[in-house]
Amino acid sequence: MKIGLVSPYDYSHPGGVTEHLRHLGGWLGQLGHEVRTFAPSSRRGAEDEIRDFYRIGRVFPLPANDSVARITLSFHIARRVQEILERERFDVLHFHEPFLPALPLTLLSSSHAPHVATFHAFAKSNLGYYYGRPILKQYLKHLDATIAVSPPARDFVRHYFPQLDPCVIPNGIDVDRFRPGQTPIHHLRDDSVNVLFVGRLEKRKGLLDLLRAYQYLQQRVPRSRLIVVGDGPLRGKVESFVSSHRLDNVVLAGYVPAQVLPRYYCSADIACFPATGGESFGVVLLEAMAAGLPVVATEIPGYLSVVEAGVDSLTVRPKSSGELGVALTVLARDSYLRRKLGQAALAKAQRYSWPMVAARVIEVYQEARETRRALSEKEAEPSVHHSLPSVG
Amino acid sequence: MLRFRAFRIVQWLMERLPRPLAYALAIVIARFAYLFARGARRALEENLRAAVPQVSGRELRLITWNNFRNHSKAYADLMRLPRARVEELQPLLHVEGMEHLEAARAHGRGVLVVSAHMGSWEVAAAIWSATIAPVSLFAEELEPRELLDWYRRTRARLGISVLPLNRAGLKQVIKALEAQEMVVTAIDRDILGTGLVTDFFGRPARIPEGPAAIALHKGTPLLPVCVYRLPDDSYQAVGYPPIVAEPTGNRNEDLRRVTRQLVAHLEEIIRAHPDQWHMPHRIWEHANYPAEATAKVTS
Repeated sequence: MKIGLVSPYDYSHPGGVTEHLRHLGGWLGQLGHEVRTFAPSSRRGAEDEIRDFYRIGRVFPLPANDSVARITLSFHIARRVQEILERERFDVLHFHEPFLPALPLTLLSSSHAPHVATFHAFAKSNLGYYYGRPILKQYLKHLDATIAVSPPARDFVRHYFPQLDPCVIPNGIDVDRFRPGQTPIHHLRDDSVNVLFVGRLEKRKGLLDLLRAYQYLQQRVPRSRLIVVGDGPLRGKVESFVSSHRLDNVVLAGYVPAQVLPRYYCSADIACFPATGGESFGVVLLEAMAAGLPVVATEIPGYLSVVEAGVDSLTVRPKSSGELGVALTVLARDSYLRRKLGQAALAKAQRYSWPMVAARVIEVYQEARETRRALSEKEAEPSVHHSLPSVG
Repeated sequence: MLRFRAFRIVQWLMERLPRPLAYALAIVIARFAYLFARGARRALEENLRAAVPQVSGRELRLITWNNFRNHSKAYADLMRLPRARVEELQPLLHVEGMEHLEAARAHGRGVLVVSAHMGSWEVAAAIWSATIAPVSLFAEELEPRELLDWYRRTRARLGISVLPLNRAGLKQVIKALEAQEMVVTAIDRDILGTGLVTDFFGRPARIPEGPAAIALHKGTPLLPVCVYRLPDDSYQAVGYPPIVAEPTGNRNEDLRRVTRQLVAHLEEIIRAHPDQWHMPHRIWEHANYPAEATAKVTS
C-alpha cells in the first residue's frame, strides 16, 4: 500500500504525535508499505534528513491545552498539496489530529484517497472543536475510518462529534529500545533510590507537585535521588524551587538524546508521572513500564487507560503532592513491592509493541478502503442511471 | 563560587551563540588568557618545549598561542553541550582506526581507552556516547563542587558516566569493563600525585598506573586514542592498535613496561599535534617551571 501520514505539528520539534508518526511510519515501511510523511517543520533542510518527507508550511507556536501547539497556519499550501497528491496517488491517507489547521484540513478537502484519522488529544474542553463544529462537520464525511489512542481520547472526540465511532488503538512503544538491563548512567546507580521523571517541563506535567513530594520523600528516605529528564518553559522555576528549598540530589538532566533515554530508565528505581490532566495517553508511562519500572502516576483518564493501580503502579489524586510523597515513600522503602510492580509493568508493556499496533492500524486501513470502495460504487450507480435519460 | 558564576555567565552566552560566533568569542578569551594567565602560558611553553624540542623559540610561541586558541575553542564546545543536539554534531566526528576498537572489543573484556588531554575530546566522547555506544569517563574531581556537578550533569545528559578517581570509582570502572563497556581516561597528568615515575619526553614524570594495573589484572585491552580538531573545526578521532598486557610475574616491572608503552604512544600523538595538547600544568618533577606555574590555574 502507498500510505501518506499527515501531522499538523512541527516535525522538527519533539512531541508525542511526532514520535508516533515517526515510529508508525518506520514500522509500516518494515512491513513493506510505501510511506510518505506530510508535516510542517520549523527547520529548513528537514527534508534531507528524513526520507520521503514533505515539509509543508511555516510553523506558528500557539498556546493550547496548557502547552504550546506548534502548527502551521499557512492556508496557501493547497496548490502544492494538490500537485503532490496527483503525483503520489495514495492508497490511504492517515491523518493525525485531522481537525487542526491548516495542513490536515487542506489535505482532507483536496484528496480523494481513502482517509483514516487518529485522534490523540484529550482535554477538559476544546474551544476550537466547539466553535469549529459547524465548519468541521463538513469534513466528517471525508473520514472513512477513525482511531482514538485511548478511551478518553475517544470520549473526548465523541463529545463534540457524536456521529464518529473511533476504534481504540493504543500508542505503540519500541520494546527493543526500551527494555530492562541496559547500561545505566553509572554515577547515578549507587545505593540511592532513584525517582525518574520524563517529560516536558511545563505546568500540566505536574513537576512542581513532584518536587514537593520529593521533599517529603527526602525527609524520610535520605538516600534518594530525583532525576528530571526534559526541558521546557518551567525550567527556571524548577531550578529556583530546588535551590530555595535546598533539595539535595536533584539531577536536572535536561533534554536527553533519544539514544540515551532508555539508559536513564535503566538508571532509575521508580518512575513518576504527576501530570495534572490534559494527557490522552501516556507514552512515557509505557516506556518506563517496558524498562521494568514501577510507576507512580496521577489518576487522570489518559494515564488510567494505561496503568492498573496496585498491579503495575501506585496512583494518586492529581495535584496532590502529599499523596504523591506518601506513594513514593512507600515504594522507596519497599524493594519487594518495586520488583513486583516492575515485573507486572514489563509484562504489560509487551502488549503495546509497535508490530502489534501497526498490524491493527493496517486492518483499519483495509476497512477504510473497503468503505470507500462501497461508497464510490453506490455513488457510481445512480449517476449511471441518471446519465441515461439525459442521453435519450 | 565566584569562579563558577563567571563560568556560568560565559557558558550561558556560549550555548546561545551560533557556533562561529561562539568560536570568535572563544578566541577573544584565549587572547586575554594568553596575555594575563602567565603561569599557565609558561607551564604550557615548558611542556611543549619538552615535547617538541627541535622547534625555535618563535615557533614555540606560535604553537603555544595556537594551543591557547584551540583550548579555548574546546571549552566553547564543552559549554555548548547542554543545548547541543547531538544528532547535528554527529557529522562533525570523523573516526579512523575503528578496526582497532573492534579488535580490542573482540577480547570480550571491555575496552580501556587511554588518551591525553587533547583536542575536544569532551565533545568527541559525547558524540560517541550519544550515538554509538555508552562511555564512562574515569576522570579527576574538579573544584569547585558546583563546577564538578555541572560537568557531570552535562556529560550525563549525553549518556557519559563520570566516575571519580578513587576506590569507589575504580570499583565501578571494573564493573563497567566487565559489562563489556568502554571506559575513557587520560593519563598525561597525575592529579593525585601517586603515579609511577615514568620517562615522558625524556624526563621523569608521574604517570597514573591505574590503566596498566587494570589491564594486567583483568586482561582488558588498552586502546590508545587521540582526538584533535581539524582546520574546519570538525573532530578527528584516531584509534591505534590495542595493547594487551601480558603479566610476566614481576608486577612492578609489568606496570612500568605497560605504562611506558602507553606513554610512548601518547608522545607520538602529542608530537604530531603539539598545538592541541592542552596541558598548562606542571607535569615533570624537576623541570624548570616558573614559580607561578605551580599555582592552580583554570583547568
